[in-house]
Amino acid sequence: MSIEIRGVHKRFGDFVALEDVNVSLPTGQLTALLGPSGGGKSTLLRIIAGLEKADSGTVGIEGTDATRMSPQKRNVGFVFQHYAVFKHMTVAKNVAFGLEIRRRPKDEVRARVDELLALVHLSQFADRLPSQLSGGQRQRMALARALAVQPKVLLLDEPFGALDAKVRKELRDWLRRLHDEVPVTTVFVTHDQEEAMEVADEIVVINDGRIEQVGTPDSLYDAPANDFVMSFLGEVTQLGDLRLRPHDIHISRSPDLVGATAADILRLTRVGFEVRLVAGTEDGQEVSVVTTRTHARSLGLEEGELVWLTPSSGAATVPAMERLVRAELAG
Amino acid sequence: MSTAVLGQGTRPVGRGRPGVRWTLTGGAGLGLGIALSWFSLLVLIPIAAIVATAGDEGWHGYVDTLTNPQTWAAIKLTVGQSLLVTGINVVMGTGIAWVLVRDRFRGRRLLDLVIDIPFAMPTVVAGLVLLSLYGPKSPIGVNVSNTRTSVTLALAFVTLPFIVRTVQPVLAELDADVEEAAASLGARRVTTLRRIVLPAIAPAIAAGAALSFARAISEYGSLVLISGSLPYRTEAVSVRVLTFVEGGDRTSAAALATVMLAVALIVIVALDLLQRRVARRG
Amino acid sequence: MVELPVPARWAVRLAAVAYVFLLVGWPVITLAQRAFADGFAGFHAAMSDPDVTHALLVTVEISLWAVVINTVFGVGMALLLVRYEFPGRRVLSALVDLPMSMSPVVIGLALMLVYSGRYGWFGPTLEAHGLVVIFNSPGMVMATCFVALPLVVREVVPVLEEVGDDQEQAARSLGANAVQTLRRITLPAIKWAVVYGVVLSLARSLGEFGALKIVSGNLTGRTQTAPLVVEQKYDNFAQNEAYAVAFVLVAISVLCILVVSLLRPQEESTS
Repeated sequence: MSIEIRGVHKRFGDFVALEDVNVSLPTGQLTALLGPSGGGKSTLLRIIAGLEKADSGTVGIEGTDATRMSPQKRNVGFVFQHYAVFKHMTVAKNVAFGLEIRRRPKDEVRARVDELLALVHLSQFADRLPSQLSGGQRQRMALARALAVQPKVLLLDEPFGALDAKVRKELRDWLRRLHDEVPVTTVFVTHDQEEAMEVADEIVVINDGRIEQVGTPDSLYDAPANDFVMSFLGEVTQLGDLRLRPHDIHISRSPDLVGATAADILRLTRVGFEVRLVAGTEDGQEVSVVTTRTHARSLGLEEGELVWLTPSSGAATVPAMERLVRAELAG
Repeated sequence: MSTAVLGQGTRPVGRGRPGVRWTLTGGAGLGLGIALSWFSLLVLIPIAAIVATAGDEGWHGYVDTLTNPQTWAAIKLTVGQSLLVTGINVVMGTGIAWVLVRDRFRGRRLLDLVIDIPFAMPTVVAGLVLLSLYGPKSPIGVNVSNTRTSVTLALAFVTLPFIVRTVQPVLAELDADVEEAAASLGARRVTTLRRIVLPAIAPAIAAGAALSFARAISEYGSLVLISGSLPYRTEAVSVRVLTFVEGGDRTSAAALATVMLAVALIVIVALDLLQRRVARRG
Repeated sequence: MVELPVPARWAVRLAAVAYVFLLVGWPVITLAQRAFADGFAGFHAAMSDPDVTHALLVTVEISLWAVVINTVFGVGMALLLVRYEFPGRRVLSALVDLPMSMSPVVIGLALMLVYSGRYGWFGPTLEAHGLVVIFNSPGMVMATCFVALPLVVREVVPVLEEVGDDQEQAARSLGANAVQTLRRITLPAIKWAVVYGVVLSLARSLGEFGALKIVSGNLTGRTQTAPLVVEQKYDNFAQNEAYAVAFVLVAISVLCILVVSLLRPQEESTS
């Protein structure tokens, strides 16, 4: 196990950022800490890095108890949302920083810097100042800088949060491919579930300072442990007592399946190859359904039409009743 | 208070864009004309008069004036003391700025206010203030009047706010991120201070030092009462100029004044270059 | 953020506080004590000296004129420098800063060389037409304007730049002409900057010494200002008067600083 977190608590004044957090992250894995803003994921990341101190609990990195270690000693690479570039140094100097303060010989430093700049495709910018680079380029430089000292763990705090959508997507893919090439244990924080699902080997869902679920993207999507995880990872709608995904609802013109519910199509929009509609049942429930354009056309779906809805077999669900019961118990 | 005055050239480059600039239309053109006329009558023409008068006795006269032993002594004293005080300010000013930005203790606000006092106070009163505590009737028995030390003291007093106020905003704007990044890369505190924080505030320190030096060289009022203006010992350039003026020797006065003007101009140019270099860093 | 180790933190804190205390704090306190060494009665007697009262009046009159002129010039110049383009704009912007780095003695000399009734470039002509500049109020006002010239400009320029001209463009698109835009949009936006500039100019004007010593002729009871009377009284061993006036001037400077410092947070919360 590369990272072992045991019983970590952290509060800022009255605000509880993390409560009894336990998680183990395997070596070489690309893990996402996913959750809403203020949920504690950045705090956890910074505690792993040593930039924050936990109130109680332990942090183990590659078998060593790092709980009381300063960030300097932990040998973790950290990449910040706003790049944290050293403005007064060139790109090459930035990347070389970690090596220079370790007093590596000049040739070694130069070779490693060249190697890393080639890896992140910034070789031609070696002598430029960071201010002359775009946001995406600065973040790639920050990554190269962090990797230069061969950290045991690489931590990224919302690394693509400050970039625009297109660059974000590009860097997302790029990070995944980079990790395949340089498989260092990597943990990144994000509030974007699509990002986590696309990039990570495993996702840790954190909300309100607690871990909701740990698992692969598929398992989290198909078998969510609770309503929060289900809602956070994708669209959720309710049919009768069941909470399920809009695309897991079978829609037809006649009640061809057992337990079908009648509903009128209230709104219908076509977005790309998807057709999204909202149908109202007799009980007044508004159900979101997503189906393909082809299927919708074959059924001749239009607003105002009567349709029959059934949960598809094998649909991921969290019974709404369960949610109500839990809400009751929480008082 | 003096942040605003001193900081304009060295403040972090404005986040707002000034917007599209208009070309001069009728009203604005007239306004510019009036402003320029006033500026010329008040500043430009008088400065030209100094340069012109300095050359009244030709190049040799000019050089003779400056190399006159008493005048030369005054120049050496003033430049030497100004450099000394600027050096002191670089160290103390940066330290005070650090304390104001990164430290928390009772009385910090008071410290912040007291630093502006030398900037707002009439210079002659500054001299008297220093005399109260460090002059002939000193309650603590320390009397530096009429010594070189008094010059250092007076110059240190009037230049106190300069470096503090140029460094303070820059230090306050530094992102914690960058220092954390250095720490995560293995840099100890001292290393981070030396390689990351210091280079970031270096231009601000330089700007403050330039302003401090220019101010020290031109200082007059605070020296009058406390230094005694003893020739060859504690007589500053500004006092020398005044002596020339009162004695009717306008040419020598102007000659010496051009030296001081040159320093002022160099400082302005240096500050402008510094600001552009910092802007490049983004 | 780098946190200094505790002993270093205390050392720097102590050094900073001690330096400022020994250099500024304590001397100012000592001056105040000295000014009231003979109690309020002594202070009052010193302040009642006719030279002193006249000097204070002269100071106030000259300073008010200078502040008004500088504010008008300052705002106008700031608008021209930030919102307009013309050849030499950058040079002018740099030149406006010149008085900040100039010696007051040089400033006094410069004005003498141009406006002296005896040997000035324009002086004799002006005096022939009845306008006496040197050794008279106009010259003193000019000298005070010179030294405080950049103060309002430098306060207003950054604010104008940061505010940007979006609002002004919006006003124009809604039909406002230049004057209306200036009055209703631009001036309110720079209100606080102008206030700071005025307070700074006032402090600087009240305190001017070197330039006025040359330009005013230092004529007691006529053109002598408060800072000049301090020097004269001290030189004439009339220490009580010197310290009393000095105290008043220090009090005014401190007041100006307090006003600005109290106003600033207020401005930040309303902008």
